[in-house]
Amino acid sequence: MGGSSVRLRNLASLLLLTAMPALAAQYPQPLAEEPIPAVATLPATYPASWMLVHDMNFTSLLDGRVVLVDTAAATENLKGVMPAGQFAIFTAASKRPEIYVAETFHARLTRGTRTDVITIYDRSTLAVKGEIVLPGGKRGQFVSTKNSFKLTNDEKWALLFNFTPGSSVSVIDLESRKILGEIDLPGCSMIYPTGARGFSTMCSDGTMTTLELGADGAVAASRTTKAFNDIDNDAMFMMPAMVGNMAWFVTFSGNVQGVDLAGPLAIPKAKFSLGTADGAVTKWRPGGWQVVTADASGLLYVLMNPAGKEGSHKDGGTEVWVVDPAKQQRLRRIKLASPGVSIEATREANPGLVVARPDGTLDVYDAGSGTLRKTLGGSIAISPFTMSAVQ
Amino acid sequence: MASFDKLAEKITRGVARKTSRRSLLTWLGAAITGAAVIPVLPVSRAMAAGNGGHGGTSGIPPQISSNPQDPGDNTQCDYWRYCAIDGFLCSCCGGKVNVCPPGTEMSPITWIGTCNNPADDRAYIISYNDCCGKSSCGRCLCNRNEGDRPLVRPQANNDVNWCLGTESSVYNCSTAVILGVATEAK
Repeated sequence: MGGSSVRLRNLASLLLLTAMPALAAQYPQPLAEEPIPAVATLPATYPASWMLVHDMNFTSLLDGRVVLVDTAAATENLKGVMPAGQFAIFTAASKRPEIYVAETFHARLTRGTRTDVITIYDRSTLAVKGEIVLPGGKRGQFVSTKNSFKLTNDEKWALLFNFTPGSSVSVIDLESRKILGEIDLPGCSMIYPTGARGFSTMCSDGTMTTLELGADGAVAASRTTKAFNDIDNDAMFMMPAMVGNMAWFVTFSGNVQGVDLAGPLAIPKAKFSLGTADGAVTKWRPGGWQVVTADASGLLYVLMNPAGKEGSHKDGGTEVWVVDPAKQQRLRRIKLASPGVSIEATREANPGLVVARPDGTLDVYDAGSGTLRKTLGGSIAISPFTMSAVQ
Repeated sequence: MASFDKLAEKITRGVARKTSRRSLLTWLGAAITGAAVIPVLPVSRAMAAGNGGHGGTSGIPPQISSNPQDPGDNTQCDYWRYCAIDGFLCSCCGGKVNVCPPGTEMSPITWIGTCNNPADDRAYIISYNDCCGKSSCGRCLCNRNEGDRPLVRPQANNDVNWCLGTESSVYNCSTAVILGVATEAK
């Protein structure tokens, strides 16, 4: 350290000392002492602008998380985090102040005994308030697919999809925190709650099977639709947008397939096309991970890729098409400022449309006008695959 | 592992009831030979370029086989065997295109793709066995979906963590192993 820098530092201290009396006079009272410890809490009911974002943290999958994001506030957009280990999946209750994360741990982080568990978080504190251990090491691990973990029976029960690679669904009583049973689903995948107490599942022959459950959680009745999912030529994406009890799926080539899940049997409706448009490199097709979402008025938003072809279905999109499914009509096209991988609309009166970009940034558009409201960056999520708006 | 064969048998029977013979054979092939694929950030190569994943931007020197019949750089997503892969490329992670990194365990089950070799114009059956037991490699993320179908058809889906039947379900990277020449062109 040279002598000149020491002299400079002394000079700086001298200037600071001389300035202090004047600054203190400006603020006669010092800042108040602050309590320790201090931990933030959240409102009992989340505002409609909030969203749960599943960040799989691809570069360290065993340490994923669910991020609670305020898509509207000017500051403090990241409201809190729940850990979600190893291809986890979460679901939130609306009738009970709880959020459930189904996750997997190994005793020595990457090795040792495997434990699958549903971790129960309190909605206001984001603290763990309990857990339900799942035996057998069979919880299915996938790129975040919302329909692998759903609620039924007035939210008293959870349904969790297992994959070993045998398929089954565990029925879990959330009130007693006990597993009621397990239902084998050979050749079928995922969970679409149907009717008062039951679910439908998508099968590899293109049908859907609906299972009504008895009070004990066992299958009371089951019925299968005719085949309507052309998996070879125009497969349905696995995650629909829900409008009430209507599940709106989109297909690889750009059709919309409604399925009425009011129960007791899933009823597929007539398919209709999203249509064509200019500006395509090859043709417009849905592309990305969470490619379809709905707002509170029941409009659908579909993420579209201009270079559609076989194998393009996860490539993300550059536009969002807004569709009125009741009229089977495309209303408008939103050109994105930056390409997206997943989209989710808020259920606000003036809805926001959140677009997850490949680099993890979340862009918030005005769903009505299509203008970009704001960008939530700064690593708010590393690998946001699915988003769930507060209902 | 003991229950694994039983489960594979169970699902095979379930699938057999509901799918064509050709699909069944594909699935049986996957179940018998074993292997795996894993999910990757579902983004097009174009969108991911510059993300350090692949292309000339990865900073990883090219690795080219000395055999001209196996052409291309196996650190790159456009290498011919990777037509349906989804994950970190083991060739960038301490393993090789068909070998897991030291200390990991190769998954015994997976799904398979059919990729065309531009050097000899043959269609090869490629098994995408995952390597398991260490955390995400993080290098050379590659996602191609030619022939990929949603989870409703798991034997044709690369969104599954196929670290099944291994000591640990923790995913590290994916290989692309030649199983043989496909008798039926893709």
